[in-house]
Amino acid sequence: MTVVTSINKEEHVILRYRRTQRSVHFLLASSFVLLLLTGLVLLWDPLGFLAAGGASRMIHRFGAVLFIAVPLVYLVTDREGAKELVYDSFHFDKDDRAWLVHIIPYVLGHAEEMPPAGRLNAGQKLHHAAVILISATVVVSGLLLWFFKSSLGETGLAWVVVAHDISMLLLTLFLVGHLYFTYVYKAISGMTTGWVEEVDARLEHPKWVAELEAEAAASASSEGEQPPHDAE
Amino acid sequence: MAQAFLLDLGRCIGCEACTVACKTGNELPSGLSYIKINEQVRGAYPNLEGGFDNHRCLHCTDAACVSVCPTGALYKEDGLTRLDRDACSGCGYCVESCPYEVPVLFDGLSSKCDGCKETTEAGGIPWCVKTCPNGALEYGEREEILRKARIRAEALRAHYPNAQVYGETQAGGLGVIMVLTDDPEVVGLPRDPHPPLMAQAWQSVVQPVSIGAIGATAVAAGVAGVIARRNHMAEVKELEAAEVSAGSGSEAEEV
Repeated sequence: MTVVTSINKEEHVILRYRRTQRSVHFLLASSFVLLLLTGLVLLWDPLGFLAAGGASRMIHRFGAVLFIAVPLVYLVTDREGAKELVYDSFHFDKDDRAWLVHIIPYVLGHAEEMPPAGRLNAGQKLHHAAVILISATVVVSGLLLWFFKSSLGETGLAWVVVAHDISMLLLTLFLVGHLYFTYVYKAISGMTTGWVEEVDARLEHPKWVAELEAEAAASASSEGEQPPHDAE
Repeated sequence: MAQAFLLDLGRCIGCEACTVACKTGNELPSGLSYIKINEQVRGAYPNLEGGFDNHRCLHCTDAACVSVCPTGALYKEDGLTRLDRDACSGCGYCVESCPYEVPVLFDGLSSKCDGCKETTEAGGIPWCVKTCPNGALEYGEREEILRKARIRAEALRAHYPNAQVYGETQAGGLGVIMVLTDDPEVVGLPRDPHPPLMAQAWQSVVQPVSIGAIGATAVAAGVAGVIARRNHMAEVKELEAAEVSAGSGSEAEEV
């Protein structure tokens, strides 16, 4: 458990995402875009000509393998991070609920008055939870279309395709929201370099910064000893 | 003007001339055939009955294959169901959706009768019709074909009391009007096939709604994003200014 130097006091930056987390995110993002584009050629008539011959289907299946590998890669390379992501995303405390009630100013770029958020704010938790659940439906319906297309029957096939399309529609809308908040709160550095400005972190995730500081203080006072990681 | 075939099963002698003419005329590769003739024998000796089931594209007006085709490779024209193999992606949805189990994947792409598009556009008539030696096949305007079919069915009733026209209403009306000697079930045809509602909703509702929702959300997010980012930048600037004035002596930690 080496979480010690996640605050860089010299440059006023905080490590938000480790290299493993950034790599997993990149794998998820790139496979999703690949799947979205190769799926869109079947969805949107003007792009239909790109699907001719079936090459886009092969790329789609390649992307599907990468997409399905994402949770496995995360578990293998960063078990703690993966568990923390799933746990945090499905647990909302009192502040989180209050945060959701006041979400509109946050959407419009006002973070200052928001109820205090932890490592993930309630919006991010909702986003993660939705992405996890809808990814499951997109993967299951996709695997059915890949391996069981001819045993679904004509009505079954139509239902599965519609489920696949609607799942992907929702994920794409969540992607638009994801890019929106990344832009509004200039949050891209967290996923490129891994570090974010301390001032931003204090504003948007005050409980998380307090936690990190408490950990840093604890490890500084008990020099040499193992810092207790599982605080709370 | 909607065109149609007339297929009179009362006259089909199962000679396979249409199968061969279709294959050679359309230069179909080995292993691919748009017409299959199956001899049917019913009853027990010595009271045998039979006929020849022609398995071929029936060119439905409400064609399930067309409604599920994601690339527009399958489309309706002049009442017939055309197939542009160059546009086909090989997804196989048509294979699964056709109520008559007609399209097949050949060399990875959908394959089925396209009503001899090239030949008829050049002023000819479809190869199967041209070659039928017993007058079981005709080609022409659908209304005229329907009229002829009714006359033939009426004439057949002298020997076959259940003789009837098939294809007037099935799947929105077929582009192959058949004259049957008995009820549709007897020759293995569904009495009243309908493409599943979901198959129609999928391309005509779900897909345009999806594209519209994604487009509208992206545009709205783009506009709102510019405003919201400006708001956020202003609040960060204020915060930094307050920090500088408050934390002139100590560390810039108290926010």
